[in-house]
Amino acid sequence: MYKSLAIFLIGFLLIACNGDAKKADDEQLRKEPWEQISIKATGTTVNFMMWQGSPVINNYMNNYVVPTVKKKYNIDLRISGGQGPEIVQLVMGEKQANVRNGQVDMVWINGETFFQLRKIDGLWGPFVKQLPNAKFIDFNDTFINTDFQQPVNYMECPWSINQFAMVYNSVKVPAPPKNLRELEAYVREYPGTFTISNDFTGMTMLKSFLAELAEGPKGLDGPFDEKKYKTLSKALWDFINSNKMYFWKEGETFPKEQSKMNQLFATGELHIVYGFNEGGIEDKVLSGLYPKSTKGYPWENGTIKNANYLGILDNASQKAGAMQVIDFLISPEAQLEKSRADGMDANTVLKVSKLPVEWQKKFKSAPKRNYGITMEELEPYAMEEPAPEYMIRLYEDFRTKVIEK
Amino acid sequence: MKNRIPHIGLVLFVLIGILPFALAFIYALLYSFGVVGVVNTGFTFKFWLAVLQSGEFFKSLIYSALIAFVSMAASVGGALWITIQFRQNLEKKFLSFIAYLPLAIPGVVTGFFIFQLLSKSGFFARISYAFGWIREATDFPDLVNDTFALGINLAFITMVLPFFVLLFLNVFKNERLDELSILAQSLGANPRQVVQRIQLPILLKKARILIVLYFIFLLGSYEVPLILGQESPQMLSVLIIREIKQYDLDKISEGYVAAVLYTIIVSATVLFLFLPKRKNALI
Repeated sequence: MYKSLAIFLIGFLLIACNGDAKKADDEQLRKEPWEQISIKATGTTVNFMMWQGSPVINNYMNNYVVPTVKKKYNIDLRISGGQGPEIVQLVMGEKQANVRNGQVDMVWINGETFFQLRKIDGLWGPFVKQLPNAKFIDFNDTFINTDFQQPVNYMECPWSINQFAMVYNSVKVPAPPKNLRELEAYVREYPGTFTISNDFTGMTMLKSFLAELAEGPKGLDGPFDEKKYKTLSKALWDFINSNKMYFWKEGETFPKEQSKMNQLFATGELHIVYGFNEGGIEDKVLSGLYPKSTKGYPWENGTIKNANYLGILDNASQKAGAMQVIDFLISPEAQLEKSRADGMDANTVLKVSKLPVEWQKKFKSAPKRNYGITMEELEPYAMEEPAPEYMIRLYEDFRTKVIEK
Repeated sequence: MKNRIPHIGLVLFVLIGILPFALAFIYALLYSFGVVGVVNTGFTFKFWLAVLQSGEFFKSLIYSALIAFVSMAASVGGALWITIQFRQNLEKKFLSFIAYLPLAIPGVVTGFFIFQLLSKSGFFARISYAFGWIREATDFPDLVNDTFALGINLAFITMVLPFFVLLFLNVFKNERLDELSILAQSLGANPRQVVQRIQLPILLKKARILIVLYFIFLLGSYEVPLILGQESPQMLSVLIIREIKQYDLDKISEGYVAAVLYTIIVSATVLFLFLPKRKNALI
């Protein structure tokens, strides 16, 4: 509350009279040739708000990206921590206070936040087509050009692409469940070792369950369908409520977030977890958090595959700088570094066959995963993100119809 | 000239203590009625109706009040017992240092500390496993993120009890309770009467306002229930922040409704408790 107020008050003091001039400049930027933008970007300080919850990601950003953009473009890239809700809160606060030069220029977002930011007109663009390295991205791929069933329209630039995967400890569970029927039998055999996190990750798992009840990986495609949701979700809550006494803590409470669920897996309380980035197995095994017997596997009816994106905020003060940084982040060089299985281990968003031959070779000889399942293996089980309304409703109903029951 | 300094004090108090709070309250009030807010469209009662009808707020309020009450009762009771029983020992340096120590630890650290000790993979669970008392992590009882808020209460007691021990020790000295007790005894009171009629009433009376203020502080605490609480019901601050940061932007105003309601209830309670008796206030 105080934070909003502070933003509100500072906003009043900062209302700039040259707002219109700035808007015109921004419009101009969208027509300018790249060379011109590059010149404007030189020497700027770009503020990047991103999720900083993973040591490998922080290492990639702080020890590779920050020094490289400084050296190559003389850009000071400053990273601050914050994901979905924080970004949306910040933009809403600044919009309300009419702040023309926001404190953040670029953000790392997924479809959930993209939907929210579009709703409040928080993003600037379209800008992606202007980036020279965008030519290596396949914009005909529906997993790239559509985010939560919304056309991306070059308003955000894909940064990496990944699929949701199931994760299990192969020593403790020889045959993990692959569908709801098997899950029902599993929780009875291993009570207390499965749960649903009350966050983005848990809701994504519920979307997979919902699609399974719709009898097919394409069951939730298309615009939000109230009637369909009501029927399917009723079946889903019935399923969960009749089994939750066999969940973690007898289903009386659920972990607040995925990181907590991961810790429970690491300590052996949970035997099955799940997550994006093909389950996030590799770095956690390499760092010793997960046992070496950890494996990834697909859910029979499919799991969600999606891209995550970089966006420029509408009131960013360094749009040219942000464009330059984003162009670097999707360069073959930066994407190769990011895809190293012994590093950040993120699948490249570039279509490797579109790259010059030397880079194709480099991508092919990059270090591969030793423990985690690959996106290629999961590909046959890929599902599109359903419309954002499904997520909104699942969040609300999971709370009222499961947690509070 | 004499009046000048109190005036400056008053102005500073209004500027630092009241104005920001009042502005924040007005902002929250406007937000709760949909007057401000990027996605709000104008004045409406719908958020208030939604919050009042769902009942979640009142469930949280009662839950928070119960936790704060249990923690305060245990802390104040424990502190009284310790003070009366071990007064002489506590005046030694080492023991008073131990009493001061928890006061220097922030709530969030206490929360993590309790979590590390009591979770199913925590310190005590590991000891139990090593001794063969439990076979798996899941066999260890639920002491954190649990229905009865055991973890939250324990964290609160660790934070509050030492404070009251120190407070009571000071009251003991300042009110010369030792002398009063000796006097009572020489007038024929037995040790039980000394405790019940002299020491307890004076200690409690002196600490009355602080007990109420600490209760309100616990009622609105955030970090400890965030780390050690469960998903439903949640303590008030956790509920309010969750609502304000939620995914469905159309419902953010409901968080502000909860914040406004909470502020009104707490302010009304404080005014009711303290205003009429201002002249008799003891601290």
